This record gives sequence, C-alpha cells and structure tokens, in this order.
Amino acid sequence: MQNLKKYLKIWLLMSRNSFLAVFNQKAALSIFLIGKIVRFFFFFSFIVFLLKGTKSLAGYNLNQTLLFFLTFNLVDTLSQFLFREVYRFRPLIVSGGFDLVLSKPINALFRSLMGGADLIDLVTIVPLTIATFYVANLLNPSILQTTFFVLLVLNGLIIAAAFHIFVLGLGIISLEIDHTIMIYRDLSSLGRFPIDIYKEPLKGIITFLVPIGIMISFPAKAIMGLMSPAGVIWSLTFGVLVFILSFKFWNFALKKYTSASS
Amino acid sequence: MWRVRNILQVVLTFFLWSSVFRDPQTEVFGYNQEKILTYVFGILILRAIVFSARAVDVAGEISNGDITNFLLKPVSYFKYWATRDIASKALNLSFSIVEITILFLILKPHLFLQINPVILFAVFVSLILAIILFFCLLFITNMSAFWMPENGWAAQFLFIVIITDFLSGGVFPLDIMPVAFQKVLYSTPFPYLLFFPLQVYLGKIGGPEIIRGLTTSIVWIFILITILKYVWAKGLRKYSAEGR
Repeated sequence: MQNLKKYLKIWLLMSRNSFLAVFNQKAALSIFLIGKIVRFFFFFSFIVFLLKGTKSLAGYNLNQTLLFFLTFNLVDTLSQFLFREVYRFRPLIVSGGFDLVLSKPINALFRSLMGGADLIDLVTIVPLTIATFYVANLLNPSILQTTFFVLLVLNGLIIAAAFHIFVLGLGIISLEIDHTIMIYRDLSSLGRFPIDIYKEPLKGIITFLVPIGIMISFPAKAIMGLMSPAGVIWSLTFGVLVFILSFKFWNFALKKYTSASS
Repeated sequence: MWRVRNILQVVLTFFLWSSVFRDPQTEVFGYNQEKILTYVFGILILRAIVFSARAVDVAGEISNGDITNFLLKPVSYFKYWATRDIASKALNLSFSIVEITILFLILKPHLFLQINPVILFAVFVSLILAIILFFCLLFITNMSAFWMPENGWAAQFLFIVIITDFLSGGVFPLDIMPVAFQKVLYSTPFPYLLFFPLQVYLGKIGGPEIIRGLTTSIVWIFILITILKYVWAKGLRKYSAEGR
C-alpha cells in the first residue's frame, strides 16, 4: 500500500511535468486536439452514413457499430494517455540516457511506460467516456453486462500495457521503437469496426495472436449480451497471462541492455 | 514501414466493404462489389501517385534554417522539390504495384477493368492535375512554418494527414455522404485529388461531368499557385534564418 501511494505520487509528479511541457506549446496542443476531434467526427459521420445506407454491418445495427467504434476510441485514447512515454523511449536507449533511469530508486519499467501522460488524450477521455456510456445505454444492457463491459475495458488496457511493454523490450534489444509502436497502432485500428467483418485466418490472428478482438470487440460484445461469463473469465485470464509474459520479456530484454553510447 | 501502414489500411477497408457487399448482387451508394473493391485497390495506387511527396520536409527546412542554402543557389526551390516529389512517387508507385499484386493474389477480389481509351486518357489528365493540386496544397501548408516554425509539422498533421486525406476520398468514397455535403465539397480542391480520378476510372460520371471536374481542377490550380506565390513572398520577408 505504501509502495502504491509512492508510485501514485511519482506518477502525478511526472504527469504534471509532462502537462507543463505541453502547455508551453499551446499552438501545437490546439492543432493536435482539433485534429483528433476532426478525425473522430469524420469516422463517426462515415459510420452513420454507411449504416443509413446498408442498415447493418456484419449483422450489427447502427448503435452497435457505433459502440464498437467508441470502445476502440476509449481503449486507444486511455492507453495513449497512460503510455505515451513509450514514444520517447528510443532516444534514451540510443544515447545511453537510460542509465540515468536505471540508477534512480524507482522502477525503470514504470518510468519508461508511464513517465509522460498525454494532456491531449486526457482532454478527450471525459467526452469519449460519456459518449460510450450514452450509446451503450441505448442498447439497454443489464447491470451484469455493464459490469462485464467495464471489466473487459480494463482488461483491454492491461493487454495494451503488455503490448507497450513488449515494444519497450524490443526497443532495448533492437533499438527499434517507432515503427513497432506504429504497427501496433495500425493493427489496433483494425478494431475500429466489429472484428466479425474480417475473414479467417485474419480474424483468428487479430482475436488471439494480436488480441485486438479481446481488447476492443469483446467489451462491446459484452454490452450486447454476446459474451458468456465463461468467455469473460477466459478473456481476463488471457489478459493477465499476456501481462505476465510481457514482464518476463522486459526482464529478459533488460539483461541485454549494453549501455552503449553512455 | 510506411508501406506496411498503407497495406493495413487497405486490408481494413477491403474487409469492411467486403462485409457490406457480401452478397455480390448488393448495390449500395451506386457501387457494386466489383466497383467498391476496385475503389479500395485504386486508392492504394493513387495515394502512391498523388500523396507521396518529399515536400513534407519543407517545414523542417524553414524552421531549422536549411532553406537558406537553397535561397543562395541559382535553382528554383519549387522545381527542386517537384523533382524530388517525382522520384518519391516513382519509388512509392513501384512498391504499391508489388503490394497490390501480393494483395490481389491473397484476397482474390473481382476488380473492374476500364478499357475505354478516352476514359483512361481522362483519368491520366485528372491524375496530372491532382499531382499539381496536392503539390500546391502541401507547399502552402508547409509554409506555415515561416510564421510558426515549431508547429509546421502540426499544421501538416491537421491539414494534410487528416483533412485532405478524408475529404479527398482516401478513407471512404465521398458519395456515401449527403448530396448537399458533396455539392459543397465539389467546389473545393479536395475531391479532385483521389475521388474524382477514381470516379472517372470507374465510369461513374459522364462526359460533361468529367469536363466540369477537369475545369474545376485547373481553376483551383491557378488559385492555389497564386496563393502559393503570395504566401512564399510574404514568408520570405518574415524569414529570419533562425538556427543559422
């Protein structure tokens, strides 16, 4: 508990520093915020007009399709907000500056993963959460289905954290971060629509191998009553296992760090 | 790696539209399965021809002062970047042809093949105009770095990566939008970058509309070149060779 409090305090401190740095570039902050909102609006309009014409997408009606889209945005934005520091990890490894992270009395993974919360994403989280719950409510979910949804969104975040840890580990071993993280983002964008639109073997790959389906589609399906309790438990177990595996990979990668250039 | 990202986007849109047009007899928004999948694959090629450009680096040159080197040389800065753009387009086009071949072999879509030489010539002309239009739009956006050197790339993200990509039909066909919105959009330069050449190729628009579209593109090119020259002149007066 003491440790948790300490790390919460450190996270708040690091986030405050990160926000202050962004506040210094108000023009960039405004442009990126507008960009994110415009992109969201374009995709949202696309889904509305598409479903007006087709009535359904892979068997889902407009509200259900919108829920998939909103759940994708919610998980994606939350993980961008929490794990933005990963995008700044490469210069630390290349320059040897990671030595300074290792020598500090806080967990190096914690610092590398969550050391720079993103203000732009934080601004969009509240309206996005309200929109997601509004659309979810239109589907009349039961309390159990809503609980499953919340649990599976949290599970999606755990899997997203695991992905980011894998990327960090790969970064130490191969010095490659930027492309890996962008490929992860592009793969996760496949979850913008219900994974049922994809055919096998791609559907299987993005459900189990790169578990975009579990991260994004399963929470939305839970609201629609399409997830059994066993399916939810299986998904949560999968999430925890992937997370443990990512830790093991990080520890393995850390032993490969050569402190070159420092 | 940027090519991998392009492929993933094509995969997403391919399966999305395949799902909508699961029944080959389905016809929505004036498209059948064959034409919509041609649109998806066509976008991959057209992006390589129209959107791939090295002029994205102009904002960086302005903000770090490297542009000074070119201002002192007896070469046209615009022609220099136009040349680099052509090289970039050739490189990207060759990649996209390989990718399309691989995707075609894996996904085996039924594609629409246009054989009318007059229409193919119109597609060719519309593509040339689209390349010039995009070059002007990209350059004008990059020149925002004269006034905000640290945020030239942010302006590019908003105006090129998001607004131009969507409004040109790069993410979805524009004719699924309401007719009133389309009419407004047709008076802007954006649809003439990707959407219009593809509509011509697919034979979705007739002769008078093709001529009107080509004329509008030419008018926009003149307007944008005028703006480009004006902004360039104003920008150079503002430029203080920071970083040099």
